[in-house]
Amino acid sequence: MAKFQWLHQKTEHGPLSQLWDSFRQQHAAVVGLMLFGFFSLIALFGPLLTPYDPYLQNPDALLLPPSWDDLGDVRYLLGTDDLGRDQLSRLIKGASYTFGIALVTAIGALLFGLLLGVLAGMSKGFRASAFNHVLDLALTIPSLLLAIIIVAILGPGLVNTIWAIMLALLPQFVHGIRNTILQQLEQEYVIAYRLDGANNWQILRYVILPNTWEQLTVLFSMALSTAILDIAALGFLGLGAQAPAAEWGLMVADALDLIYLSPWSIALPGLLIFIAVLSVNLVSDGLRTAVRKRQEN
Amino acid sequence: MIWHYLIRRLFLLSFVFFALTCFAFSLGHLFPGDPLVNFSGISQPDDELMPVLVQQYRLDDGYLQQYIAFLQRILQGDWGLSLASQQPVLHELKLVFPATLELVAYALLISFVLGVPLGLLAAIKANHWSGRAISTIALLGYSLPIFWWALLMIMLFSIGLGWFPTSGRISVLYEIPAVTGFMLPDILLSGQTYWQAALQDAIRHLWLPAFVLATYPTTVMIRFTRDAMLNVWQQSYIKTARAKGLSRSQVLYRHGLRNAMLPVMRQLGLQFSTLVTLAMISELIFSWPGIGLWLLDSINQRNYPAIQGGLLVISSLVILVNILMDVLHTLFNPLARKQANG
Amino acid sequence: MLLLDIRNLTLELETSQGLIRAVDRVSLSLREGEIRGLVGESGSGKSLIAKAIVGVLNQRWRIKADRFHWCGVDLLQLPFDQQRKIIGRDIAMIYQEPSKCLDPTALIAEQLHESIPNQLLKGGWWNRARQKRKKAIALLHKVGIKEHQSVLESYPYQLSEGVCQKVMIAMAIAKNPKLLIADEPTTALEASTQAQLFRLISSLNQLKGMSVLLISNELDSIARYTHRLSVLYCGQLVESGETARLLAQPFHPYTDALIKSVPEFQPDLAPKSQLYALPGSIPTLQHLPVGCRLGPRCPNARKECVHTPALERKQHHFYSCHFPLQYKEPQ
Repeated sequence: MAKFQWLHQKTEHGPLSQLWDSFRQQHAAVVGLMLFGFFSLIALFGPLLTPYDPYLQNPDALLLPPSWDDLGDVRYLLGTDDLGRDQLSRLIKGASYTFGIALVTAIGALLFGLLLGVLAGMSKGFRASAFNHVLDLALTIPSLLLAIIIVAILGPGLVNTIWAIMLALLPQFVHGIRNTILQQLEQEYVIAYRLDGANNWQILRYVILPNTWEQLTVLFSMALSTAILDIAALGFLGLGAQAPAAEWGLMVADALDLIYLSPWSIALPGLLIFIAVLSVNLVSDGLRTAVRKRQEN
Repeated sequence: MIWHYLIRRLFLLSFVFFALTCFAFSLGHLFPGDPLVNFSGISQPDDELMPVLVQQYRLDDGYLQQYIAFLQRILQGDWGLSLASQQPVLHELKLVFPATLELVAYALLISFVLGVPLGLLAAIKANHWSGRAISTIALLGYSLPIFWWALLMIMLFSIGLGWFPTSGRISVLYEIPAVTGFMLPDILLSGQTYWQAALQDAIRHLWLPAFVLATYPTTVMIRFTRDAMLNVWQQSYIKTARAKGLSRSQVLYRHGLRNAMLPVMRQLGLQFSTLVTLAMISELIFSWPGIGLWLLDSINQRNYPAIQGGLLVISSLVILVNILMDVLHTLFNPLARKQANG
Repeated sequence: MLLLDIRNLTLELETSQGLIRAVDRVSLSLREGEIRGLVGESGSGKSLIAKAIVGVLNQRWRIKADRFHWCGVDLLQLPFDQQRKIIGRDIAMIYQEPSKCLDPTALIAEQLHESIPNQLLKGGWWNRARQKRKKAIALLHKVGIKEHQSVLESYPYQLSEGVCQKVMIAMAIAKNPKLLIADEPTTALEASTQAQLFRLISSLNQLKGMSVLLISNELDSIARYTHRLSVLYCGQLVESGETARLLAQPFHPYTDALIKSVPEFQPDLAPKSQLYALPGSIPTLQHLPVGCRLGPRCPNARKECVHTPALERKQHHFYSCHFPLQYKEPQ
């Protein structure tokens, strides 16, 4: 007869800790989370840590290669650009732009999307179906194109970019939240609550919303990666952040003419964009897998 | 019953087009500057011409009449003049649009040919190192900012190795008259003596932009196919089919593939719009003379009639593809047909 | 000869908390032409045993048995593909939710044709499609579907669960299996269709001599249609024997409780009296009791019950209990 650990009492964990356990077991996702945390910290505190002022131009140190190159200077760790500004400082500052602003737009889109999605999901009738059709329509226009249009109307600039991207991310949120709510409404525990006498608002607050936060986090992570790419793309196209802002996409565009002379001016900002998006995607994938595993159990 | 569904879709399509034209019309007023200039594209209308145009565009009447006049003009083919070149916008669009279509078509082709088998492989060998490797590469490709990727490829292959040209569709040495607007067929149709060299040259120009543009849809295909296949593989009917005695590959091709491709097709429709946007950026970097580059230039030049026209065309394309994918999905999916009728 | 001879089958699952023994030393045997019932509450492991026989448990499960013979061949010793060949040839299984077991994108005709093995067809390969079609129609008639044309040309979503289950049975008998395993085949069906289906299985058993392993948690239907019965509780074999004898004289307290809980078996149940049930509920897999797993709930439990009782035998009646119910004189 085999001996079991029958004295080992496993306490039942709530969904949040189950999710965290599943998530934690995926090493790639944890690495992504650490990178994500790193970028967030840099975005918040980076400007305080830059060795030089990102906008300070030093005419004596133009186009220095990174310090590991022969011609490089260790004072300018990653080299300088064509106006003599320190790359490292600019890259750090750029985190606040590309990553930080992407976070802001994603959170904004989340909040607005939650509002609209709840309205779309909970209401019925002609109004609702008309709204849903419009929504499906809005989904078909890509976020970047929408952002470009809005910027074309309002003119370039960072603030307009934020509104544009927020607006462009909105349909994904509304669509996802609406679908989750509709799915929840079909569940039997909602019917049980209704039979108990709960009205729509109570059902929403106590039953539906607590069950949608998992889907919300997944949606948020996907929107965040889109936001980072879109902000960088708009910066690259010259429609987003304007010079002399140290936004990563803009830095790549600025360095375009110097592609022969200083390839690292293009490689480095783009690399950071890539790693930032990669970290968010790792977290997003990890979350999706963790949610699926939890639901299967 | 299926006709009902198709007719409903057609109604939706027309409704969407109307909404689109409404939006395009409103741009004429939303853009800064004189609406008359925005609509007509004539940068300096002389005093004789102005009242005629105002009359024609019904600019003195309410918005509804203006919109109707706008709609009539669109349907008749008068899309105004480009502020930059003073050429008809529709004419310029006819030149640049096929170039984008060609690029996007080749990218999609590559993504299908590469993406679906790799995705299936990643699903079948999900726990094997090969499956994991494919998923990892797909994730990496999915996270790439396309402009950076394009520039890296240019630095490596064009500047570094010199294998491919950095820009354009074909070398300026070759003069290919535009019959269809698509470069490769045009070369074959042109009947020039040096058509083989021209073909090779065009392919060399095509290769890098198509590859860069194909990166995103290929990774999307891999990821979606893998997810769909993993999901399908868990289903009861797959286990039943295996219990019937069918071999693994038989089950895969006969039952697995059909069911897995359905959600993939639907997702493809949604991803197409992203593909178009990425095409625009690629055109910018590779100086590919397509509608994306043209639109971006117009935006920079504040060329409002051109922006209006370009927007209309691109959005129409995206919506058309979406509805097409939707219809295809419903046609091939018995369950969706049931939902469409019920 | 015994078709299926399983002795002391143990199924263990690897989890993060260790090894969980979901099925604990169950023995099962099946003769040709007999209908064997496997009864137990949900969580008793009946489906697991069926899956172990057909070989569709995933790698996380560990299968151990003293004997696992099919027609005299030890299945556990064989390499995987040989196992599958034998099982695919001789054993067929039908499941609980038949509509989910059919490919939603394929016509019924296609799926039915797939289940007809080529070896059973007469005529050359050029004739195959027509032969398969003829056989498919014959199979549908055999399971009681008269409008074969409309069923053949439908998709699964267009058919009711009852018809889907009949189609599943048709697909199962297409290869003339020696054993049909029916894993709770009627749970998703309405009462009238349930009766139809049991009658069908019973007639197939009588006419074709096909053995059936009928897994269910409904004691009344099992009682009517099975020759021999095995009762499982929580992964342990509790009692096993001829159905009529077992129900008339159960030895194990659990069987007794089961019988008492089914109103149809209590002819003199007074109106408005409480229905009988054992106190407590099934233990979770993480907290299985040591020894006899009915221990905590059993009205007869004593100190010895922390040791798993061995399988004892009285004529052809097997039971595993330290303190079986007393042998009652037949009324």
